[in-house]
Amino acid sequence: MKMAEIKLKLKKEPRYPLEAETITPDYFAGKSIKEIKEAILFHGNQSVKLKEFFEVSGTSDDIKETKILIEGNLSKVKRIGQGMTGGEIVINGDVGMHVGNQMKGGKITVNGNADDWAGAMLKGGELEINGDAGNYVGAAYRGFWKGMENGVIKVKGKVGRESMLWARWAKKAGKFPTLYCGGAGDFLGMHNHGGTIIVEGNVDRYAGADQIMGVIVIKGKIHKKLPSFKKIGEVSEIELPNGDKITGKFIEYSGDHSVKKETNGRLYIAV
Amino acid sequence: MSEKSKITYKDVVCPFCGTLCDDLEVDVNTKENIIIEVRNACQIGTRKFFSSNPSEHRYEVPLIKENGSFKEVSWDEAIEKTADILANAKRPLLYGFASTECDAQSKGVELAELLGGILDNTASVCHGPTLLAEQDVGVPTSTLGEYKNRADLVIFWGCNPVHAHPRHLGRYSEFVRGYFRTDGRNDRYIVVVDPRYTHTAQIADLYIKVNPNEDYELINALRAELRGVEIDEKEVAGVPREKIKELVNILKTCKFGVIFFGMGLTQSVSHHRNVDTAICLVRELNDHTKFLITPMRGHYNITGSNVVFTWNTGYGYSIDFSRGYPRYNPGEFSSVDCLIRDEIDASLIVASDPASNFPAAAVKKMFKHPLIVVEPHHTPTSVNADIILPAAFAGIETEGTAYRMDHVPLRLRKVKEPPGQCLTDREILEKLIEKVKEKKGEL
Repeated sequence: MKMAEIKLKLKKEPRYPLEAETITPDYFAGKSIKEIKEAILFHGNQSVKLKEFFEVSGTSDDIKETKILIEGNLSKVKRIGQGMTGGEIVINGDVGMHVGNQMKGGKITVNGNADDWAGAMLKGGELEINGDAGNYVGAAYRGFWKGMENGVIKVKGKVGRESMLWARWAKKAGKFPTLYCGGAGDFLGMHNHGGTIIVEGNVDRYAGADQIMGVIVIKGKIHKKLPSFKKIGEVSEIELPNGDKITGKFIEYSGDHSVKKETNGRLYIAV
Repeated sequence: MSEKSKITYKDVVCPFCGTLCDDLEVDVNTKENIIIEVRNACQIGTRKFFSSNPSEHRYEVPLIKENGSFKEVSWDEAIEKTADILANAKRPLLYGFASTECDAQSKGVELAELLGGILDNTASVCHGPTLLAEQDVGVPTSTLGEYKNRADLVIFWGCNPVHAHPRHLGRYSEFVRGYFRTDGRNDRYIVVVDPRYTHTAQIADLYIKVNPNEDYELINALRAELRGVEIDEKEVAGVPREKIKELVNILKTCKFGVIFFGMGLTQSVSHHRNVDTAICLVRELNDHTKFLITPMRGHYNITGSNVVFTWNTGYGYSIDFSRGYPRYNPGEFSSVDCLIRDEIDASLIVASDPASNFPAAAVKKMFKHPLIVVEPHHTPTSVNADIILPAAFAGIETEGTAYRMDHVPLRLRKVKEPPGQCLTDREILEKLIEKVKEKKGEL
C-alpha cells in the first residue's frame, strides 16, 4: 500500500531559528491540511503558524502510513521529527539542529547536511543523512547519562565531535545503538557504554575516550589514539554485538583502560 | 587635606578576581569623593579601586549615539529608548554579569525572562566547560581554607596565578602557613603543568612541559598508570613515560593534594573533556589519598552569576527564554555561537567587555545590531555601543554579595559615592524591567 504523503515547501527562510517539533508523522496523522497549516512553530520568541513559512499539500493517514516530504533550505529549522514513533520524513535540503532527536520509530532521510545534535538520544528507528552531520550525533543531552539507546544512524559524510556520547546498549532486550559514518571528529564514542560505531574513513583524535563497553571500528586512519588503549593483536573478522560481521585486516585494541583495568571495550583500526 | 575628610575602611573585599581577597584597607577622601590609598591589594586590585576615581575614562551621564557621536541624554530618555529596542527584539541577548553583585544578576534573570531572550554570562568563554564537565561526572572540591591548612601537594594545571590571581599563592596555596602546614612553602610540593615556562612554573618544585592542546592524553595516561596499566607509548603529550610514572607516584603518596586548573584546560581544543578527565583522575586518586580539584575562576563574581542563574532558572549559563521557560544548551544558546550565526537582533551587555574577548566574527555581528551597555568606564564594547547607561562600580560604590571561586559568598562594601548621575547595575535593571513591563502591557 502506498503511504499517504504530505508535502511541505519552505516559502521564505526564517530570520531567527524556527523550532518545528510539530513536524512529525505523530502530529500530522489524521489531521486535515487546514489543521496542519495551523500547527504552532516558534520563531525567535514569537509563536507562528506553520502556513506562514510552509506551503502545505497532500493527505495524511495513520502515523505509520504518513510520509512527510519537505523541500527547501531548512538549515535554520530545528527539531524536525522530534520524538516521532513511526511513519517517514524525507528532507530534500540541509536541515537544522536536533533533527530526529529522541525518535522512537519510523525513518528520517536527509538529502543534505544536518546540523548539531542529529538523532540525539535516539531510542529507536532509523536516521539517514546523505551529507555531513554536525557535532553530537546520537549523543546524550547535557547532563544525561543515557544517550542513544537503540536504532540506527547512517551518515554518508563526516560526523562532528563527541558523536554517540554516553551511548548505551541493552543486550538482553536486543537493543544495539549503532552509528555508521564516513568519517568522524574528536571524541567519537565518548563515555561509550555499549554503542556500536563503524567508520568508513578517517577519525580525528581520541576515539573511544572513557569507553566502558562497546565496539568502534575504524576502516581508515585515526589521527591520534589514546595511550590508555592497549594492543591485543591482529584480527581478520569482527563480530559486532548485533551479530553482523565485518571482514578485513584490523588491529584490535582494548580500552579505555583509564576507566577499568579489565575492560570489554574494543577499538579496531584498519591495518 | 585635613584628617577629618579622610576615612579608612578596613576588611574591604576586592572586586577584581575570583580570589576575592577580604583584607584590603582603603583610604577615601570623603570631601572630594576619591580613593587616595589602597593597602594589601595586588597591583591589579589596587588599579581597579583607583579607576573608580573621576577621569576621562569614566561615564557619568547616560549617552545615546547619534550620527556617529555620543549625545548626553536624561535617564528617562535613555531607559525609554533601551526598553523600546529590547521589547521589540525577537531574539535579544543579555550578556555579562560577571563583574557585578548578585542582586543585579538576579534582576538580569528577571529581565531576560520578561523579554524571552538569551541570558548568558562570561563563563560562556571562560569556565563554562568546567560546569559542563561537573554535570557529567560530578566534582570533589572544597573551600580554599582547607587547602591552606592541609594541602601538601598543590598542582597548577594550565593556569598562571602569579599574574592572574596574584594573591592566591600568598593567601591559600603556596607561601601561606596553615594549621598543618606550619612551615608554609617548605611544607608544600608545588607542581606546574603548562606548555609555557610561566612565572608560576619558575617557582615550582616540578615543572612538566605538556604539548599545547594535548592535556587530555596526558591525564588519560596518568589515569591508566594509576590503575596499574602499562601504557604502550614511550612518550605522551611530550612527556616521557618515566616522568609520568614519577608524577603518579607523587600524586599517590601525598597526604592531601589539590589541582587548581585554569583556561589551559577549559579553553584548549578538548575543552570540557579536559576537565572531565581531570575530575575523574582526582576521583580515582581518592582511592589512595585525599585529593580535590578547584577551578581558578577569573572575574570576582563569575561564580556568583553561575549560582544566581542556577537558583533562578536551574542552569548556570547559556539559557534561552524564547519559549517562556528556561532551556539550557551551550553551543546552541551560548552567546558566541548565537552571534556568529547572526541570530541576535539586539544586545544588552552588563558589566562586561565582550568586544575584547569574543572572536572577531561574533563581535562584528554584535555591532551590526543595536547594542546597549551598562558600564562604568570606556571599553572596546562601550565605545561601539548605541546606548551607554553609566553604572556605579559594584563593591566600591555599592554594596552587594559576591561568590569566591570556591563558592563562599562574601559581602562587598561601599567605600565611596558613585560620581555624576551613575546608578547601580541593580537600579538600572529595575528601571528597565519596569519600562519593559509597561511596553508589554503587563502593568
